[in-house]
Amino acid sequence: MLDFSPTEEQEEIRRLAHSIAVEHLRTQGRSAEKSGDISPALMQTLAQTGLITPFPDAYGGSGPIEAITYALIAEELGFGDGGLAMNVIGSMMGPLAVTLAGNEQQQEQYIFPFCNGSAGAAERGSLAFAERTGGYALADIQATARLDGQTCLINGTKRDVIHGSHSNPRIVLLRTEGGEGLASLCAVVLPPDVDGVEIVRAEQKLGLIAASSDSYAFKNVVVPSSTLLGEPGNSGVIRVAALYNILRAGIACGTARAALEYAGDYAQERIAFGRPIVSYQGIAFMLAEMAMKLDAARLLLWNAAANWDRSVDLETLVRDAEAAHYQALRIGKSATIDAVQIMGGAGFMQDHPAEMWMRNAAAME
Amino acid sequence: MINFTLSKVQEDFRDYAHQVAVEEMRPISLECDRSERIPESFFWNMQKRFWAGSAAQARQIEGDERQGNVLSMLSQEEMAWGDAALSTAIPGPGLAAPPILSQGTPEQQAKFLGPYMDGKLHWGALALTEPGIGSDVAGMSTTAVLEGDEWAINGHKHYITNGARADLIITFATIDKSMGRDGIRPFVVPKGTPGLIIGRIEEKMGLRASQTTELIFENCRIPKDHLLAGRGGSSQTSKAGFKAAMGTLDATRPMVGALALGIARAAYEAAKQWVKEELPAGYPVHKRREIEVELDEMGQELQMARFLVWRAAWMADQRIPNSKEASMCKAYAGALVMKATAAAVRITAPGEQSETKLFIHKWFRDAKVFDIFEGTAQIQRLVIARRMFPKINIP
Repeated sequence: MLDFSPTEEQEEIRRLAHSIAVEHLRTQGRSAEKSGDISPALMQTLAQTGLITPFPDAYGGSGPIEAITYALIAEELGFGDGGLAMNVIGSMMGPLAVTLAGNEQQQEQYIFPFCNGSAGAAERGSLAFAERTGGYALADIQATARLDGQTCLINGTKRDVIHGSHSNPRIVLLRTEGGEGLASLCAVVLPPDVDGVEIVRAEQKLGLIAASSDSYAFKNVVVPSSTLLGEPGNSGVIRVAALYNILRAGIACGTARAALEYAGDYAQERIAFGRPIVSYQGIAFMLAEMAMKLDAARLLLWNAAANWDRSVDLETLVRDAEAAHYQALRIGKSATIDAVQIMGGAGFMQDHPAEMWMRNAAAME
Repeated sequence: MINFTLSKVQEDFRDYAHQVAVEEMRPISLECDRSERIPESFFWNMQKRFWAGSAAQARQIEGDERQGNVLSMLSQEEMAWGDAALSTAIPGPGLAAPPILSQGTPEQQAKFLGPYMDGKLHWGALALTEPGIGSDVAGMSTTAVLEGDEWAINGHKHYITNGARADLIITFATIDKSMGRDGIRPFVVPKGTPGLIIGRIEEKMGLRASQTTELIFENCRIPKDHLLAGRGGSSQTSKAGFKAAMGTLDATRPMVGALALGIARAAYEAAKQWVKEELPAGYPVHKRREIEVELDEMGQELQMARFLVWRAAWMADQRIPNSKEASMCKAYAGALVMKATAAAVRITAPGEQSETKLFIHKWFRDAKVFDIFEGTAQIQRLVIARRMFPKINIP
């Protein structure tokens, strides 16, 4: 039965995420860009809400994740600041992958530390998805795993892995050698100090600077097969990849909404030729267009998230999550670019956050 | 809870409409477009088939099931997939229903809509547009003057769908030009009223089988109680008339969006199938790949348009104010249908002349009006912007 309204509980969680986004993420976005990381105090604040530990109660988490609820949260965090939102969500994806695809022993090992009160707020995870040869579509994954009894041989590349160098668990999405389609996808927990992995910190990034990231190059890396999260092609690995697309799409929608609201406020204040510039159709229509496209992208995102929650077949899940991701990034870019345009010279200046959001949105590719 | 799945009732309703589109509309679509005529048998078939359609409108009258808008937009998409022009000619009150339902008293609703249930062929029409005004209704020049127990209507309307065959024409007229848009009222003008003159039937680029009429009112006199004054509103003071016009648009824009979506989907499916099955030998592989990527993206845009339409219709059923969302879905779908049909024309251009291509060319011609009627793309953006910035006067 069609319904376009979140539940009361979801609304409540969204309000909580919104207030943190406005009070903390928005106000710290610029300083986090300067320092290149989230402040420990903000991580503590977030940890106290339980929003960043959607892991099983048994390990001290706040309960299993729901994609719609977290799409709403991701949008609010993205509304606060895209860089900080990617920092937080990027970290969460590590333990989430273990939650969705790992066995009991892996869950105990990797999830507990994140739920350990204030010490847990210092933990970071990571999920390596995109590669030198592609983006955030599962079909693009070319890094290979050769499964050979007790070991797994890894070759390939990964890029823009948030917290890639200093996280535990570090999850890497791979494809079994010679395999095709969803059934060949698998994930490993990359052990620390393993030979053959070259890790390079991304420098002079265009955007999302508050979420430091690294690239990997694997040359005949051998890891024990016990590092695999489930069997190749297991639904958990595919669902975590789809979830990353959904949450990234949420952040992109949040960034677009921030830009729309900020530029709208500016256009109501800014007077030109004796009138607020929003009263001119040249500006008003741009804002109307942004709002329309944002709503369209958000509905596509909600549909993908609803699919995730009701466990539709994996092909549909992946197709819709990747579609939502593609369209959300598209409005993320166009809305931030248009926001800068509407603000004119002021948009180009770092006194306002619009230019940062524009760089952030483009850096999500 | 956010949910994009249709209920069994909704799915059945949509599937039935699709079946009707396949069996009754597609087979006669091209011929009706060429001849600008619809065979009488079509009307009767639809009358029989869509007894359920009137029943859906009856359900709305009763107001017990809050899914009338969702059901009709689901069926509109399928009908337009079949043939948008034919879908405008399906017997029933059509565009006359929303103003009667929203602004009529229970007695008026029974009196005016009741006869539509008698199993015969009836249509309805809505007359708002004039040669001098479209969306700018404040400049309306058709007048209504109360003389004793009758309203005397004088003026000139055009671009009226089904104007020549409608049993009832909801006619918007001003009772006092100095009041601007607040002086506008909806009146029910029955077919055959002396002074109601059917003018010319327009020749159009697309939707050619749909009848678009000019109407002239020359001292056309209707009973006093044919004014739809809103429930409890006094006819001389309330702003119900303008609201009726605008409220009608909030309900009909999602339907127009659904129609646009249906045509866009038809063109998308045809182009996709053409690439799969009819691509000429020797067609470059890289170009085929480009087209496939383009069509994938179009599929996503169709889905977004559909969700925007669904949301606006759902809001109408939930009695949530939806002007902004109705305009969004209309603007989005109106642009998409042009994009999709133009792409289909381009993609299939290398092929031999075929029925598929004739359909695509028809849909391309049909599409343009969806970015124009019920408010142009520009008017939709104006509505959206005004709702976004209520404190600012956006002229």
